[in-house]
Amino acid sequence: MLSRVFFVVLSLMLFAGLALAEGLPSGSVKTVQGEVFAERQGKVLPLVKGVRIFAEDLLVTGPDGSLGIVLRDNTIFSMGPNSRLSLDEFVFAPVEGDFSLLVSMIKGTFVYISGIIAKLSPESIHLETPVGVVAVRGTRFAAKISGK
Amino acid sequence: MLNKKSILSLLMVLFLISCACPKNIFVLLPESDGTVGAIQLTNEKGSVLLDKAGEGLTVAGPDSPPQLVKVMSQAEIERTFKAALKAEPLPPESFLLYFETGSIILTASSRDLIGQIMVSIKTRESVDISIFGHSDRAGSKRYNLKLSTARAQKVYDLLVAQGVNTEFLQVTSHGEGNPLVVTADNVAEAKNRRVEVVVR
Repeated sequence: MLSRVFFVVLSLMLFAGLALAEGLPSGSVKTVQGEVFAERQGKVLPLVKGVRIFAEDLLVTGPDGSLGIVLRDNTIFSMGPNSRLSLDEFVFAPVEGDFSLLVSMIKGTFVYISGIIAKLSPESIHLETPVGVVAVRGTRFAAKISGK
Repeated sequence: MLNKKSILSLLMVLFLISCACPKNIFVLLPESDGTVGAIQLTNEKGSVLLDKAGEGLTVAGPDSPPQLVKVMSQAEIERTFKAALKAEPLPPESFLLYFETGSIILTASSRDLIGQIMVSIKTRESVDISIFGHSDRAGSKRYNLKLSTARAQKVYDLLVAQGVNTEFLQVTSHGEGNPLVVTADNVAEAKNRRVEVVVR
């Protein structure tokens, strides 16, 4: 009896751990060319169309690579070759009024198109680069970052 | 042998090369509907605002102030950001479906939208579709939350019947809390009896 209780508790803990690791997806991959991958929790995951993107993913394109993603709040990022972008935090919960978009454009070429967070809570958006922080007012822009 | 003149011209060439390709560039672009917003880059040395389409700024490094540059030509933008521009996904598409008062019956014109939603899902090869249920303020809050949930569920069922993978769909209900048209309580407003479908 005790072992059965222990088993149930253990499986509940495992399930909770798994749920925590997975979390809610932040968005998905829409366009891919060449070598493109995500670094997620220490693992390298090749990206293809339809793969889900999660907060804390580091997105990397190779010398011939490019990538386009759409996040749950309709924010769009695309990246040219030799680019690195880290999705540090993403919270989009309009019913609760919780918003956060924290992104580091580390190096490479990027195009950004703002989504719903930019309309409802622009102060919740932090786009960081090695040469400064970008504040946005409902917009689209391109950036080329050579890195530090 | 390097004389003074050749060293000078070498320096000139190096200067021109470094100026032709600044290390860090930001350019404001118009959105697909033509609207232009604004961006502002700020670091410890300064801050520059861009609010005209094609306007750009350069920054030499984290310890240099950002510099406003003249409007970049379309050709220059294309050349610098070619691959990233080509990789831009189609923007998400949003649909509003309307219902008869107090019911989960779609209006006739909204029924026809289901086909357009399916085209949008296929065109985008979407794996990420949101369904948001809303109601008007006729009736209690609790009744309206229940109703908006039922309406969102109805649209979910219609899309699943058309073959959409259930893993691609998320359903959220807002009840009467997020109206398109603001009204007093207990007012029936057709525009608020809606389900929004966003195809990403």
